[in-house]
Amino acid sequence: MDINKFIEKFSQQFDETDADVFTPEIVFKELEEWSSLTALSVIAMIDDEYGVMISGKEIEGAEHITDLFELVVHKKNN
Amino acid sequence: MKVFSLEGKKILITGASSGIGAKIAIMAAEFGACVTLTGRSMEKLNIVRNHMKANEHDLFPMDLTNEESILQLSSSGHKFDGVVYNAGVIDYTPVKFINQAKFNKIFDINFTAIVLLNGLFIKNKRLNKNASLVFVSSVSSQLGVQGTALYAASKAALNAYARITASELAIQGIRSNSISPGIVKTGTHIGDDVTNLAVHESKYPLGYGTPEDIGHLVIYMLSNASRWMTGTDIKIDGGYSLHS
Repeated sequence: MDINKFIEKFSQQFDETDADVFTPEIVFKELEEWSSLTALSVIAMIDDEYGVMISGKEIEGAEHITDLFELVVHKKNN
Repeated sequence: MKVFSLEGKKILITGASSGIGAKIAIMAAEFGACVTLTGRSMEKLNIVRNHMKANEHDLFPMDLTNEESILQLSSSGHKFDGVVYNAGVIDYTPVKFINQAKFNKIFDINFTAIVLLNGLFIKNKRLNKNASLVFVSSVSSQLGVQGTALYAASKAALNAYARITASELAIQGIRSNSISPGIVKTGTHIGDDVTNLAVHESKYPLGYGTPEDIGHLVIYMLSNASRWMTGTDIKIDGGYSLHS
């Protein structure tokens, strides 16, 4: 799995935030545009693109995009 | 009071192996009904039956999206005085992620299965005169909660279906109503933290509901106490929609 592609897909769930804001270490919940709908979109994107279901709790527990990426990699391999 | 009694009534409840459906089954038995319970797991249905006041209850393990099972249930010897169409699935797919597979998954269980089963019950004359049909919808069918497009649309379709059924069956004295609950704390919902992303309990003036809250309403809908009520939808949501 490619983290850059993951970040790109992640960033596509936002409409107002500049694409170059999205780095592996960004604390995504601090972004002004982050909302419960974005969270639902991220869950749906991960299901669609990677065939992995993540929970609301797991989103809440993640701080950086890398945390989510590693979670998806882990779930895909188990 | 006797008018609320379900003594002598045969009631079918779908999705009775857990959550609201299981509670309705237990309460209906307490009020004197003979209950037929459907659900996917025989093991879970047995557990529910063990909690029910003894009577001639039946367990019918089935997958509601399986046409063969629907045909079997609707052509079995059972005749019912009440049916509670409770089985359903929740979904939180944002509009832009809806695809055919997701659409089918939600509508197959929340709408199509019910339409097919209920149609066959009527066609095969499995409903007694004065029977009561209760369709468990959702208050979200009338709201705009983000992420619930498929779920809310399937439930709104169910509300419309319940109304037309009422119109067609009134001549037989058969009543058809839907109920629209807000979020109820059940075994599945407590663990459903995606729900918490979309809604928060603080938005509920009376807090989230319990399965008993819904059970009491359903008992009323099944009983002769509601004999003059048909073609309507009852919202039961702890005041959630007061501010919407």
